[in-house]
Amino acid sequence: MTSPRHVDGAVHAPSWNEGEKNHGQILVAPLLLHLLLFPSSFSALKPLFFDPPRAFAWRRKLLGHVGGADGEAGVAPRGHTAMAGGNDFQWCFSQVKGAIDEDVAEADIISTVEFNYSGELLATGDKGGRVVIFQREQESKNRPHSRGEYNVYSTFQSHEPEFDYLKSLEIEEKINKIRWLPQQNAAHFLLSTNDKTIKLWKISERDKRAEGYNLKDEDGRLRDPFRITSLRVPVLMPMDLMVEASPRRIFANAHTYHINSISVNSDHETYLSADDLRINLWHLEITDRSFNIVDIKPANMEELTEVITAAECHPHQCNVFVYSSSKGTIRLCDMRAAALCDRHTKFFEEPEDPSSRSFFSEIISSISDVKFSHSGRYMMTRDYLSVKVWDLNMENRPVETYQVHEYLRSKLCSLYENDCIFDKFECCWNGSDGAIMTGSYNNFFRMFDRNSRRDITLEASRESSKPRAMLKPRKVCTGGKRKKDEISVDSLDFNKKILHTAWHPKENVIAVAATNNLYIFQDKIN
Amino acid sequence: MNMEYKVEAHRIMSISLGKIYNSRVQRGGIKLHKNLLVSLVLRSARQVYLSDYYGGVCVRSPHAGGVEWGEGDQMDSDGSRSTPDEHGGESALVSDDSVRIPEVSVNGPAAAVEGQDIEDLAPGSDYNCQQSPQEDVGSVKTAVSAKRPDASPSPSLSPGAADAEGENQEGSGSAETGGPGSGSEHCVSRSENSQQGSAEVTATCCTRKRGAERSASAGSPVKRPKATAVPALPPVGGEGEGPEDMDTGNVSSLITIFGSSFSGLLSKEGAQPATDSEDSDSGKICCEQMLPNLNPWSTAIVAF
Repeated sequence: MTSPRHVDGAVHAPSWNEGEKNHGQILVAPLLLHLLLFPSSFSALKPLFFDPPRAFAWRRKLLGHVGGADGEAGVAPRGHTAMAGGNDFQWCFSQVKGAIDEDVAEADIISTVEFNYSGELLATGDKGGRVVIFQREQESKNRPHSRGEYNVYSTFQSHEPEFDYLKSLEIEEKINKIRWLPQQNAAHFLLSTNDKTIKLWKISERDKRAEGYNLKDEDGRLRDPFRITSLRVPVLMPMDLMVEASPRRIFANAHTYHINSISVNSDHETYLSADDLRINLWHLEITDRSFNIVDIKPANMEELTEVITAAECHPHQCNVFVYSSSKGTIRLCDMRAAALCDRHTKFFEEPEDPSSRSFFSEIISSISDVKFSHSGRYMMTRDYLSVKVWDLNMENRPVETYQVHEYLRSKLCSLYENDCIFDKFECCWNGSDGAIMTGSYNNFFRMFDRNSRRDITLEASRESSKPRAMLKPRKVCTGGKRKKDEISVDSLDFNKKILHTAWHPKENVIAVAATNNLYIFQDKIN
Repeated sequence: MNMEYKVEAHRIMSISLGKIYNSRVQRGGIKLHKNLLVSLVLRSARQVYLSDYYGGVCVRSPHAGGVEWGEGDQMDSDGSRSTPDEHGGESALVSDDSVRIPEVSVNGPAAAVEGQDIEDLAPGSDYNCQQSPQEDVGSVKTAVSAKRPDASPSPSLSPGAADAEGENQEGSGSAETGGPGSGSEHCVSRSENSQQGSAEVTATCCTRKRGAERSASAGSPVKRPKATAVPALPPVGGEGEGPEDMDTGNVSSLITIFGSSFSGLLSKEGAQPATDSEDSDSGKICCEQMLPNLNPWSTAIVAF
């Protein structure tokens, strides 16, 4: 089940307890392995090697780091934003992580972004199978302007490329999803998944080390027994902070198709994983078994008409979950009803508008992401051109629909040719469920205020990356005369897409993944 | 206006075929979701394309039939197939443009489909071509076959077929096809056709790609375009099934192909240069050849 090489990167048998390990190897070994395989990532990992992962000492050495240095001037004057009203956000640039150069290695492309429950930690996964966790600095009185910046806390190789010999298929190491577990002790736990395997990682800190062993010297070598003349007992001495990540559980071999979602249940004991045709329910402690709770695979594969595209557990009711399909429908299931939840409890579908039918109607109606609101009363779905908010009590249509980039509707054929129409955008709620955010092309991302019905388009770019610079609203010109500062649809860069965004659960801090860069923006209001 | 749609549909079909073809070599294996969506687009495009065809074809079917017919005969390379004449005639009716139809019907679709895969795809009646003679099911779309060794019956059939097209909205067309059915090893594409009214017109045209046995037996060099033919598999749906089957037919074929790791395709690829640049071309060629052979059960003209 677990090949030794997956455990801690070092080759030894997996063990659940810490035991006696060479702690230094834990962090270094997987990184070395990773660097051998992916030399291009060396730049990103350099700080880790040459500077101990201390939040304060080396954050500025991160390549491309443009952070809020102290005393820097250039505070943008407050102005009006497009979102006036209750949620008067004034988004300002805070940080950007990642390499600057134009040549982006595919392995560095960020594939998932997720805040933990407190917002203190921010995890990103990339196509190279690595997970990078950022931790927020404590606000200090010395630097009141830097309202808690995020700095690298831990980096580890979560998944490696694998080969399925039976089917002659390569299994990508790309991290599809990361989900944090609620914190129960000093350590942090997260689930990360690629197409086939889910892993539970424990991230813990170590700031003490036992020194003064009786039988070993400081290097670890056994002392010559004849030289031991006295007895000494090891003493815990402080050491430089070291953050270790170790895989605690590996949930493998349960999915025939590609895993697209994982979701931790509100009971904090179980979680679900969904692939194209099946959803499995796992217990966090048990890795050799999972329960299949949804199976939409037809007896005759020729009759396949839809696949599962996303699934999520209800935030409060541990028996409820939803899954979305490629046909634009969402099914809510109650696990109390039956062991196999093939029959939904609720079925959400909006009737299609026949006037807008085209060759690509099916593709653009396919739901790419579904997220419950924090309250649990609503859920949001993202299809290619819009975001819809559904009330769980009303199945026949959404309560709110927001157009993300309707100007692309006439370009669907070109987007089909260049494969952009298959992009899976995600969406997220803010902590109060009053606003929602999703990404678009040209490194634009959109925010919608549910109360005032206002929306804003912002851009994540290096040009607007001055410290604490306020983001200027962007506008896409859909036709007619292009006004100043507007950008025409044809000038949009479809290679610069923002698929993954995350909103801090409590504050107005957002993380936006633009290809290989992670932008962090903060609301200016102090 | 119609021409625009047709050209657009044709282009989209080529692109879709190219995508499906390329998905085989993508890292991480075949993505079921994406290929399902591509096959849906392919289906929609095909509907439009074929509906345009039939719109123009029916008007002058007798002529078309005769003309096509001749070509079909020449193309006939598989003497073993003794599909009823009417089928041949019907297939001839399918398209004016695509001269290669008869040939395609014989080899094309088959070529596209991997031998064994096809068998798997249509576990039922569809693939009886060379096995059980009678598979008249509801609407008979006698596909393929262009193999008509004798051309004589065909002309007579054409008008007949035309009539059938005009009137038969139910799939009773099968009746006529059923007639000569004896000893006919036509592949019948059942189901949907009966449901869809106008589709019957097309029903008479042979479209199916008969798969395995054809490709295996034909082994014709015409398979060239087949490189990307995987997606254009005819639906297998059972009789009386709705348009849904059409979708599934494509998808299922695809999935079966995927499931078999394209073992068949690989053999085919050896025969053709398999480069990306050629994919689109071959996709186009494939499209042209296969379109008429694709099961036109998709009747209803898609509203745009």
